[in-house]
Amino acid sequence: MLVDPNLDRRAMLARTLAVLGATATSSLSFSALARTAKRARPYLEQSVFDLLSAVADTIVPQTDTPGAVAVGVPSLLDALLVNWASGERRYEITQALAVIDGKARSTKSRAFGQLPAEARHALLTEHDKLALKVVPTPPGRGGAVSLMAGPLYADPGYAKLKELIVVLYYMSEPALTQELTYEHAPGSWNPSVPVTSETRPAGGTLF
Amino acid sequence: MFDAIVIGSGMSGSMAAKELCERGLKTLVIERGRKLEHGASYTDWMQPWDLPNAGMVAEEVLARDYKVQGKQYNMNTATQQYWVKDNEHPYTTPEDRPFAWIRGYHLGGRSIMWGRQSYRLSPMDFEANARDGHGSDWPIRYEDLASWYSHVEKFIGVSGSVEGLPQLPDGEFLPPFELNDGEKLFKAAVEAKFPGRKVIPGRVANLSKAQPHHEELGRNSCQVRNFCDRGCSYGAYHSALSSALPAAQRTGNLTIVTDAIVHSIIHDPATRRATGVRVIDSNTKVGRTYEAKVIFCCASTIGTAQILLNSRSEDMPKGLANSSDMVGRHLMDHLFSLSVAGILPKGPETYYHGRRPTGMYIPRYRNVGSTDEFLRGYGFQGAASRLGWRSAALGLPGIGADLKARTRKLGPWLVYISGFGEMLPNPENRVTLDPSETDQWGIPLVRIDCAHGENERKMTSQILEDAKAMIQAAGGMVVSAATGPAEPGLGIHEMGTACMGRDPGKSVLNAHNQAHDVANLFITDGAAMPSSGCQNPSLTYMALSARAADHAAKLLGEGKL
Repeated sequence: MLVDPNLDRRAMLARTLAVLGATATSSLSFSALARTAKRARPYLEQSVFDLLSAVADTIVPQTDTPGAVAVGVPSLLDALLVNWASGERRYEITQALAVIDGKARSTKSRAFGQLPAEARHALLTEHDKLALKVVPTPPGRGGAVSLMAGPLYADPGYAKLKELIVVLYYMSEPALTQELTYEHAPGSWNPSVPVTSETRPAGGTLF
Repeated sequence: MFDAIVIGSGMSGSMAAKELCERGLKTLVIERGRKLEHGASYTDWMQPWDLPNAGMVAEEVLARDYKVQGKQYNMNTATQQYWVKDNEHPYTTPEDRPFAWIRGYHLGGRSIMWGRQSYRLSPMDFEANARDGHGSDWPIRYEDLASWYSHVEKFIGVSGSVEGLPQLPDGEFLPPFELNDGEKLFKAAVEAKFPGRKVIPGRVANLSKAQPHHEELGRNSCQVRNFCDRGCSYGAYHSALSSALPAAQRTGNLTIVTDAIVHSIIHDPATRRATGVRVIDSNTKVGRTYEAKVIFCCASTIGTAQILLNSRSEDMPKGLANSSDMVGRHLMDHLFSLSVAGILPKGPETYYHGRRPTGMYIPRYRNVGSTDEFLRGYGFQGAASRLGWRSAALGLPGIGADLKARTRKLGPWLVYISGFGEMLPNPENRVTLDPSETDQWGIPLVRIDCAHGENERKMTSQILEDAKAMIQAAGGMVVSAATGPAEPGLGIHEMGTACMGRDPGKSVLNAHNQAHDVANLFITDGAAMPSSGCQNPSLTYMALSARAADHAAKLLGEGKL
């Protein structure tokens, strides 16, 4: 019975850097996205997989480090739909993708994946903002599990889709070695380390 | 015939077996679950990107197989193998009184997955039942167990700091895992604002510095990976597999059988002694018996009660060693999941290196030299840490290069403390056998009827109020607070059901964990606890096990069993 669902949200509000430093994206072209479509046991139809690739590339693009597509997030997520997701979850994720594509088609008259990177970024930024509005916590939801699960969102399907893309990216070896830091066996505990401009958060755990 | 049979290979059973073997007793350990191999069975080698399904257990599997086990904090694809499938091992509860029975059926039991927090009970804990009249008075006092705490601590290796607190006696410690700077800030604020409260490094059964006697068993210093819940190939934390059973094995006196579910203990009414154990092969479902001169029942608090109740006979119609009708009663668990978290906006601009296997601990301070509106007390476990990648990436809307840029930055300090409260022993909180339902091996199902009472409700309010006040005292902004405890059982500290006591009419065991009714039957797991304290209990189980084994061996040597 958590009384405040906004742990992550408030935490981020305290971070001034979170809203600074926007840089130009160097997203992949549609044809490049299509070339990443190598899946051992696909769940998504190719057209939906291409849409997922475009969404993943827009959420975590290539910058000075690899993006979601380069580390194989679309294929990993497709595998999750086979090996992890319930039927309900599969429907939720594919619907979330369909909503994004629907918005692109209704406002831009083109499939999401066929939009230029800048247009994809603009459309998904707006969608992300609306979908991730926090809704009040229903009575009876609480405990440590809920704390870890985070708040409830206006569009839980999109929230889960984004979460999976982000988690798969930041649990990948390229992200853990180039965006974050990770040592499998640190060897010793140092309780106080000065922070420098080079300091990166340690990753490797789900939280 | 063996000299001794130990039922259960977990925290208590493995320690009892070690001590019995070291005293020359030919000892059989019976484990209901499958065999695990130290090292080979573990998953600590997995890199984050190796984790199946990014660590997430398949949703339909979770819903179908792990309805109860999935509620505990540590279910992922690296640890899934250690938790029982609830649909294969059912039990019942009243509909409105849920109890989460968290289990691992394999060699080593829950010693593989334990939280490793290791605290002594204090003199006031052993006196609590006598003082306020709840439960059975402990037939021993702190002084009776102190040297056995030391004995166990030296063997298993406990890292911790010497604090000189009467409510949390010091032990034989390896160097502590020191508090980080966020925790030091929190400590300074709490100790200044609330005299009598202390914030100390969590005492944990991890080898901060392995000693020669640890290395002789193949154990190594902790590598600060915090993958303990997967099993540790370095043997850096104490478990049955890394530590106690290897020590027993090197004596040449140990025999282990796995996949053998104890149905009941055989009792000879003529001699009033237990003579052996009936088991059912978990795979073939064929029964067989083992005989011994002494039996230690260490099948876990609820499992032990189940075996005793199912060992009823014409001579003992209420169950073995149950003339007092106390078997199954006084089931307890710690109040759990009473967690409050807050951001420290003015936290130090430092970080830390490594994933230490513990955090900070706030020892009990309520009803210590003062009287509160409830009985007994509570402590807090917690930690301060920089908010990590997940909250940075997902805590706010935003995508693209911005998301990546903000995730590269360290987050603010988050301090998190969670209360562990003592539950009063109540005879109506009990384990019985279901009158009609049996499991796939024909053993009556356990029925668990347990709920928190008025004292626990008062304590809960105070825990949460104190937690918020301490976080705010450190300049913290509370961002999350529980309003009630998790259902009983989720603390995974179940105790009671075969309590020690002075009066054979009101307790099951004497001062040496020996059944009042059956002189060669010893019970040294959580079932033996007359009260729970608020400290994590495994260290006490191990100390009781070692002490009882020593006593049993002496009695056997003197021909008294």
